[in-house]
Amino acid sequence: MIEAYRLSKRFGPVQALQDVSFKIRKGTITAMLGENGAGKTTTLKILLGFLRPDSGTVIVAPGRVGYVPDRPVYFTWLDGRTILGLSDGQANGNGKDPGARILAVAGDLLFDPALLRRRPGSYSAGNAKKFAYVQNLVARPDLLVVDEPFAALDPPSIKCVRNLFLELRDAGTTLLLSSHMLAEMERIADGFIVLRRGTAIAHAGIKEWRLLRSARTAPDLESVFLHLTGS
Amino acid sequence: MFDTALLPLTWRVTRRRLVASPLTLAAGLAFPAVIVWIGLGDSYETAAKFFFFLFPHVFLIAAQDMVRTDIDGGALENVLFLGGRFRRFLWAKNFVLAGAGGAYALLLFALFSAWGLALGEFRPVHAAQFGMGLLAGFYYIGLAGTLSYFLRAGSNTLVLLLAQSAALVGLLFSATSRTGFLDYAASGRFPGVGSKLLFGGLVAVLPNLVVSGRLSAFGAEVLAGLALSLFVQHRLVRALELEK
Repeated sequence: MIEAYRLSKRFGPVQALQDVSFKIRKGTITAMLGENGAGKTTTLKILLGFLRPDSGTVIVAPGRVGYVPDRPVYFTWLDGRTILGLSDGQANGNGKDPGARILAVAGDLLFDPALLRRRPGSYSAGNAKKFAYVQNLVARPDLLVVDEPFAALDPPSIKCVRNLFLELRDAGTTLLLSSHMLAEMERIADGFIVLRRGTAIAHAGIKEWRLLRSARTAPDLESVFLHLTGS
Repeated sequence: MFDTALLPLTWRVTRRRLVASPLTLAAGLAFPAVIVWIGLGDSYETAAKFFFFLFPHVFLIAAQDMVRTDIDGGALENVLFLGGRFRRFLWAKNFVLAGAGGAYALLLFALFSAWGLALGEFRPVHAAQFGMGLLAGFYYIGLAGTLSYFLRAGSNTLVLLLAQSAALVGLLFSATSRTGFLDYAASGRFPGVGSKLLFGGLVAVLPNLVVSGRLSAFGAEVLAGLALSLFVQHRLVRALELEK
């Protein structure tokens, strides 16, 4: 689904990424882990086409891509209903009121549909995040990239989003999640990529991770992460 | 770069932005009111002079803050603009704004012409003046759009308005020695290269001057300026990355 080969990116004097390579298979949940400034967001932005790598290549399989940023931002003059209408229009070739589907998705995410009459800039951080999920799910992505998937969400919403990820994966959607919440990632991820100072220091696919998890003496993801990053 | 599939989305986003902008709305409503007021208070001919000279500014006001706030604000990271579509969205904005401004100007011109026909004062040269005004308006969108890659909020439009004010004030202060220059500008005939270059510089910041209809060389200058600004903007948008 995604193949990144020797990605490098520099911002002025800062080498944000250096020869980062990884593969992500279709229909899996992959957690991208790393300390602050490790290059996670830069990697995501290259995958999404917001940044161009200085060198290296990215191949993303054809299909619809969704993205939920850490802190979603919207045009300040558009209300929630309009934004969802545009998203649905782009996904399905019409700009009509998506109605029932939006209500169903909003219900799954505990998002109050009454908020759609307001502009997302007036939402709380948690509702803005949930709205971003609603917008992406209305567009029915084949690949969903999420930066800090549980940030700003309350416990019931975290549970809903977690279940949603698993449902999406079972339906064949590929998910790439960048997060610091290791316990949550350990519960749902099929594999992980660990970045440190712009380089990929570990990349475990489904088989390796399942093998590691099945071992009785296996450490938890937090211990593995702290060991790998030398924290 | 041009993506016709993105035009409906760009149109819907831009239309709502224009409607939500108090300055654009105020300018759009005040302009015809002023023209009617001049026409009723003075004459249709005087109103026509103001109409053709001022309507390109509708495009300039509409082009305020075309790009930079979208880039810095983070809204272009929305799912609607993934995979490099944000570049095509910003590029399509030029054409959508030109279309919206052109449609509004055409509506005003139709009403203004109907008024002139009713009074028996409409002249065919008005159509040529309208065409030159549209060219000036498109130039404003290209130029203000390019400036908007570097200037935040509405300062792209503000910079052009200040440059125009400075040029006009400078012209007024030097009017004693340049009485002839103003006459040349009105007639479209210039005695030497120096005065032509000076007027060309003025046209670069105030392209509305070409609506006199006797300045075809300067109309070509505005057309070249439009092409150049779009070329520069195309280079800028192709190289653009969303780093924040």
